[in-house]
Formats: sequence, structure tokens, C-alpha cells
Amino acid sequence: MKMLLESLLLALILSNLVLLGSTRVRNYVKVIALQGFILGLLTLLLHLGALSIHTLLLSGGSILLKSLVFPWLLIRAIREADVHASVEPFVGYNASLIIGVLLLPFCFWLASRLPAQLMPTMASSLPIALFTMASGLFLIVARKKALTQVVGYLVLENGIYVSALALVGEIPWIVELGVLLDIFVAVFVMGIALYQINREFDHIYTDQLSSLKG
Amino acid sequence: MNSSLLLWGMLILPAIGAAWVLLPGLSVQTILKLLVAGVLAVSALGMPLIWQVFAAGPVQLVDGWLFLDALSAYHLVVLLVVFSLSSLFAMRYFGFEYRSGIFDALQARKLAALWFGTLAAMVLVLISGNLGLMWVGIEATTLLTAFLICVHLTPVALEAMWKYLLICSVGVAFAFMGTILVASCGRAAGLGDTAALQWTRLMAVAPRLDPATLKMGFLFLLVGYGTKVGLAPFHNWLPDAHSQAPAPVSALFSGFMLNAALYCLMRYVPLVEQSTGNAGWSRQLLVGFGILSILLAAAFIIFQHDVKRLLAYHSIEHMGIIALGIGLGGLGTFAALFHVFNHSICKSLGFFCAGRLGQLYQTHDMRSIVGALRTAPVWGGGLLGSLLALIGFAPFALFMSEFQIMQAAVASGAFWSLGLFVLGVGVVFVGALGHAITIAFGEPVSGIPAEAAGWLDRVIVYLPLSALLLLGVWMPGFVIKALEQAAHVLGTAL
Amino acid sequence: MNYLAFSAPLSALVLAPFLQSVINRTKATLAGRQGQPLLQPYHDLWKLLRKGAVYSSVTTVIFRLGPTVSLATGIMALFLLPLGGFPAPLAFAGDFLLLAYLLGLGRFFTVLAALDTGSSFEGMGASREVLFSSLAEPALLLALATLCRLTDASSLSAMLAGVNQDLWLGTLPALLIVICTLGVVLLAENCRIPVDDPTTHLELTMIHEVMVLDHSGPDLAFNNYGATLKLWVFSAILAGLVMPLWQALGLPPWLAFGAGMLTVAIAIGVTESVMARLRMDRVPKLLLSASLLATLALFLQQR
Repeated sequence: MKMLLESLLLALILSNLVLLGSTRVRNYVKVIALQGFILGLLTLLLHLGALSIHTLLLSGGSILLKSLVFPWLLIRAIREADVHASVEPFVGYNASLIIGVLLLPFCFWLASRLPAQLMPTMASSLPIALFTMASGLFLIVARKKALTQVVGYLVLENGIYVSALALVGEIPWIVELGVLLDIFVAVFVMGIALYQINREFDHIYTDQLSSLKG
Repeated sequence: MNSSLLLWGMLILPAIGAAWVLLPGLSVQTILKLLVAGVLAVSALGMPLIWQVFAAGPVQLVDGWLFLDALSAYHLVVLLVVFSLSSLFAMRYFGFEYRSGIFDALQARKLAALWFGTLAAMVLVLISGNLGLMWVGIEATTLLTAFLICVHLTPVALEAMWKYLLICSVGVAFAFMGTILVASCGRAAGLGDTAALQWTRLMAVAPRLDPATLKMGFLFLLVGYGTKVGLAPFHNWLPDAHSQAPAPVSALFSGFMLNAALYCLMRYVPLVEQSTGNAGWSRQLLVGFGILSILLAAAFIIFQHDVKRLLAYHSIEHMGIIALGIGLGGLGTFAALFHVFNHSICKSLGFFCAGRLGQLYQTHDMRSIVGALRTAPVWGGGLLGSLLALIGFAPFALFMSEFQIMQAAVASGAFWSLGLFVLGVGVVFVGALGHAITIAFGEPVSGIPAEAAGWLDRVIVYLPLSALLLLGVWMPGFVIKALEQAAHVLGTAL
Repeated sequence: MNYLAFSAPLSALVLAPFLQSVINRTKATLAGRQGQPLLQPYHDLWKLLRKGAVYSSVTTVIFRLGPTVSLATGIMALFLLPLGGFPAPLAFAGDFLLLAYLLGLGRFFTVLAALDTGSSFEGMGASREVLFSSLAEPALLLALATLCRLTDASSLSAMLAGVNQDLWLGTLPALLIVICTLGVVLLAENCRIPVDDPTTHLELTMIHEVMVLDHSGPDLAFNNYGATLKLWVFSAILAGLVMPLWQALGLPPWLAFGAGMLTVAIAIGVTESVMARLRMDRVPKLLLSASLLATLALFLQQR
């Protein structure tokens, strides 16, 4: 049980590092799908003692959404906006990886400073959740393509989801449903925006979206 | 009437409206009329509810999922006023675009459906008693309004939309993290998983909440919702989105969307204060960010040439002023809430006039929009009036609320804040006054047809303007009472 | 003195070329070829030893020293290495550092010998070898340090003795990272695909092979034999790590170790068969990732 949890958390750390070091946009989509799956399993693990229909539905729903629907939306966006395969970073891959590994101790420190009363079974996941959030933020600022920013946003959301598991365990299902719906719409809307930006600009580089100033 | 019916009606009616305008075969005119009718109907539903709250105390429904107290009812008033005015103006504005042939039924349908959706989302923010549901509402407004920015698909509009969508989504994600931290405090204090997100239940156990975690949560919330409010330094998206959106949408953004996010922050202030022993920790943060926003906006206002960007930076400034007022507490809270209403209708008015003048002059560059008072007396006068009010000219209500905030600063001995506030407002005054004068009194550009304003135009302009003047010189007793009740929710006894 | 302890290095000396042929056989089978006989490496070494050496007139004594030193350090490394249930003849706290630096010393002399020839190709190979091994070294040391922490031991013998089934069950994630890191280091240090291709015949793309182009006869035999010893050393560490899995099937330690060695060799062969060689500028990223992985494991364990 504890081993399974630790393995899942390690997989989460590694998936973030893979994202930081990845050179191909398609790899991002694969990793996002994997993260969604890990998140679903973590949810199940948390409620293993008392499985209820709605836990099953929620974790099933989030697996479905995060590891199937989002990747599908992203792949569609890649195809329609004709995104070139390579990632094109502001901060190089090696530097990103090193920064990632340096962020990890920082997140552990941050989590240890947080005197919150954690869910006993999931306590060890808080630092990794923070690390996932940090990786997502880093991807948003350190990569050029708009699509990468969407991926960064999803990683950030995943991090928050895991923090929620660690901090409060169960969120009322109406709220959780609303949050899932919002994120789904966000990805959907961002996909459409990407498509339209690509059509108007012939590129999706955010560093060139700079005609509005001052 | 039954209050639960009214509350549900305010959520369901916009949904029906959105579905209705999506029906095929409707003409642009019909869609715009439906828009106005729908918003007015929702306002009509809201009025008795608001009355009930102010007269008989908070309304709580569905186990506290829906909750309306004086603070949210007051914001609901602002929301409904801004939405009603903006819808009326939208009918005029897009009607004109329709006649110019740049607005078709497809765009109208999209606009109206999203407009209704935004209304429902904002109402949800205000009437939810659950902090998680409130977050869902805020995030929904971000997503729904994103496409309102690019009703006209131009590269700059898309650029503005992308920045808005991404920055605000990321910001609001931070707010969710903050919400979770607050909920974890609630759980640690023995609340169940639903109650840990309920504002009233959290308030009841506030002294037992863990201060350190709550502080961390508030920091996340401040960054998160602060992004949506447009507090410096998280304001980057704001001028772009406001300047590129169609004028009625900008009015909506500035008039209420920012306030909705600020309202969410206000919800947390008394909670954090009570739990951290009323030491003013969260209020000091608000003062800091408020003053930073005022000063930064002032710097940008001086060198601004685009009238809508000017108004956008005014929004940052005034959000800063409201945050400052809340932060000062006491009379400041009262004044800040008063300022919310004043700023919202004044800024909506400003965007209405700027948008209409933009249509007439075909530009938003203030160096080209000159002599508006003669070219289009109603709209030019409205813009002049709103700019004067925004920079704090004397008889307008905004002057009154800013004056009260200064009083509050003096009363609480916050002289540094007072000095910086006066500095910022002074710079804004000088900077924007020059703009206002050239717009209004310059030599009119030849070739711009004189505008004959209809009665509806006059209502749209003169109603807010006279309200601002009236509230500036005389506040009716019921307004004072309502404001006091709302300020009381924020933990301020006058 | 326990003479049984010497059985480990002695068996290594005998069996090291055989490991090479297992890898070759795996690759051949996967490619659908029959492959060379399993004893071919021994024949090659024997053939080379019988020949005379040719030395270029521009080389100095350093060139002649290179193969000898690399073989000598390889043999010395074997004495620090426990095999199966047998502890190494030499074991003391921190001996894994000595192991790393013995291998480093051997490489240093190989590089010097390559530079001594004055050939531009060999200089190029030397430069690449040094770059990649300097990146692989932190990964190796960090992985071994993690192993130190995992087993609470500080000598190689004690560390590998401490890797048992309980450790596998208790710290699976960290152990897996260590194995991955050591695997990458093995591939890099022994000029295997995806870092280098031991069978390439184009000087431009060679790394290790190009450095030994000018050696002949017994010198070349020393070099090749030294290389197989180095491969043996890395494989033995990895085999020691996966041994408990075979022991779980009921095999006695020495047989489990042999099975582990075979596992490692086959894994290398499969990796070489299914992967293409990385572009030269991607190799540092691979090695850096390995180092970072090891750092991660160490950090997670330290906590």
C-alpha cells in the first residue's frame, strides 16, 4: 500500500522531469495522459478503505478526462494548428532538467513549512504536488509555443489536484464536478483559441504575440 | 415570492436565454432585444431577493450551498445595474455595427449566448455559500468571457484573448490552491468535507483555524483572485483585454468582472483576520497591493494614447483604491464598498462613450478623438463626465468615496499609505485631465458626421451620470444602511 | 587469508570475454543471424597475443604504457568486486570510490596513448571519451552513494550483500532508479549503443574504438581484454542488484548471480538491438538525466 503510493508519486516526479527534458510536443501529450492515469490511481488509493460509487465515478471520470479526452484534444489541436514537432524552449532542456531537480528540495522544504493537518494516508504526496505545480508553471514561462503553455496549465492543475488529495482528501462532489468541467472547458477553449491564432498569425509562438504594449 | 424560487430563477433564466438565442433563424435585432429582455428579467427577479436580504437578513438555501448576505446582495445590485446598462448599450452598439455590415447573426448568437452564460456565472459567484462553488463561478466567467473579447476575429483581439485566457486561468488555478488550503484548515478544525468549504461554517470556527496555513492559503488566493482583479503586478492581461474587447464587453469586464474577483477576496478577509487575532495581516497585504496598483496605473495613465487602454488603467487604479479601502478597515471598508458601486457605473459609462465615439471617429486614439463635445454632445459629454468622475472631480460620488478613504487613512494613522495614495491620485488627476480636455473641447475634426442621439442613448448616458452626481451630494438613508450592513459582514463596526 | 575469496576475481578473469559473446549472440539472434561462436573472443585474444606489435616512430613510451595500465587497473578493480555470495578479497569503507578512480585511471592512460599518436581522429575520439565519461562519472558516484544510503554500508561488498529481497520490497522505487542510472552508465562507459557503437567502422562516428586504432598485437589484446573486464565490473554490480529476484525463485546465490549476469548481458544485447545510436549532441542530455535521476534517488532516500 505504502509502496504503491510511493511508486505512483515517484512516477509523478519522473513524469514532470520527462516533461522538462522533452524535446517533442507529442511526448508532452503522452506524459499528460500518463499523469492523468496516475492521478486517477492516487484517488482510488486514497479511498481504498471506503470505496463508494461516487469515488469510483469521480476517479473514473478524471482518468477518462485527463488521460483520454485531454490528450485527444491536444492531439487534435496539434494536427489542426499544424504545430511543428519540436518544443523550442526559452530555457534549454538540460538547464530545465537541472532546475527541475533543484526545485524538488525546495518543494519539500515548502511542504515541511506548511503545518497543515494532512490526510494521514496521503501526507507524503504534498511536496510532490507542489513540485508538479512548480513544473507546470515553469513550462508555461520557459517554452515558446502556446500549446506548451496549455500543457503547463494542465500540469499545474494536476499538481493542485494532488494537493487537494493530500490536504483535504475529499472535495464535495458538486465542487469537484464543477472544477473538472471548468478545466475541460478551459482546454477546449484554449484549443479553439490555438486554432484561431494559428489561422490569423500562421504561427503559435507566444513570444511573437507582442503587438499590445503599454 | 419564495426566495429559493427567485435564487434558482436567477441561475436558470440566463440558461434559458442562452438556449433561446441559439435557436436558428433569429435576426440580429431580435437577438439583441432578447438579450436586453433576459437581463432585465433577471434583474427583476433579483430585486425582491435583495430587498429581503437587507430587510430581514441573510438567505440560506440548499444546506448553505446557496447563500446571500448583505455583502453579496450589495454586489448583486452592482452586477444587475451594470449588466442592465451594458445590455442596453450593447443593443445600441451592435445595432450600429449591424447596420455598418460588420456584425452578423452568427456573431450575435455567439455574443448573446456567452453574455447570458457570463451573467449566470457571475450570479453563481455571488450567491454561492460554498467557496469551491464560488471558484467554479469565477473560472467559468474567465472561460465564457474569453470569446467575448474576440467577437471580431482580429490578430490583436486574439492576442489579447490568449493572454487573458492563459494568465487568468493560471491565476485562478492559484486561487483554487488557496481555497484548498483554507478547506484543510476547516477540516483540521473538525468540519466535514462540505462544511469545510462553507463560508458561514468556517466563520463560526474561525478562532480555531490554524493561522499559518490560513495565511499561506490567503497568499495563494491573493495572487490568484488578484490576477483576475488586475491588481499590480498581476495586471498584464487587463489593458489588452479591455482595449480589444467590444465596448459593451469592456464595460462588463471593468464594471463587474473585476469586482466579482475582488468580492471573492473580500470573503476571505474577515476569516483570516479573525483567525490571526485581528492583527490586520491580510489587510496590510491589501493595502500594499492596492497602493502598488494605484501608483503603477498612474504611471501608465500619463503616457496613454488609446482611450480604452486609458480606461483600463483607470480600472487598475480603482481596484487598487478599493483594495486599499478594504485594507484600511473601519470607515475605509464602508468607503471601499461605496466606491465599488461608483466605479462600476462610472467605468461602464466611460466604456460606453469611448466605444460609441470610437465607432464615430473610427479610432480609439485620443489624439484623433477631439472636439467630441461638439461632434456628439451626448457621448462626448458622457466621456468627459466619466473621466472627470474617475479622476475624482469634486461633486461626483467617486470623490466622496475617495475622500472617505483618505479620512479612514488619517483615522487609522496610515500616513505613508495616505501620502502614496494622494501622490498616485494626484498624478492620475493631472495626467487624465489633459486627455479629457482635448477629447471634449478640441477643435472638431472635419468629416465626422454629427451624431443625433436617441432617447435611449440619453438614458444610457444621463442615468449613471446623474446617479453619480446625486450620490456625490446626498446619500439616501437606505443606501447608507445597506452599505453599513455590507461593511459589517467584512467585520467592520462603524 | 581465505583463498576462496580469490575465486571471484579469478572467475571474472576467465569469464569476462564470455560475457561479451553472450551480448553478441543476443544481438545476432535478434537480428536473425546465427552469430559467431561463443568462444570467438577467446580465439581473437589468443590470435592477437601471438602477433608482434608495431609502433609508430612518433610515439613515446606513453603509447606503450596505455594498454598495460588499462588492463592493470581493470584487474585491480576486480579485486574490489564481490561476486555472488563471495565477498571481494579487498573490502574497506569507501572502496567504491577507489573502484571509480581505478577505472578513471585506466581511461586516462588510454586517452593519453591516443593523444600520443598525434592522429587527428584519435584526438577527436579522446575528446569525446573524456567529455562523456566526465558526465557519466557523477551519475556513477551518485548511484553508488544512493546504494550506500539504501544499505547503510560503505564498502562495495557490504553494499551488494545488503541488497536482498527485503530491500527490494522496501525501497523499490529508489532501487529501480539506481539500476536505471547504473545501466546508463554501463552503456556509456563501455561504448555501447545508444552512446557509442562498438562495431562501427567509420572513424568519424567512433568514440572508444578510434582511440585504439594504432594499437596492434598484444597491445590491442590488452586493450580489448581490459574493455571486457570493465564491462564485467559494471555488469557484476548490476547483477548483484538484480540477484535477489533470482534468489526469490529459489536459486543458490552463485547461480542467482550467474543468472543475473546473463540477465544484464541479454538486456544490453536487446538494448543495442532495438535502439538507434543517439545523435552526438544528445548524449550529454542522456548522461545528465542519469545523474539527475541518481540525485533524485539520493535526495528521496536522504530525507
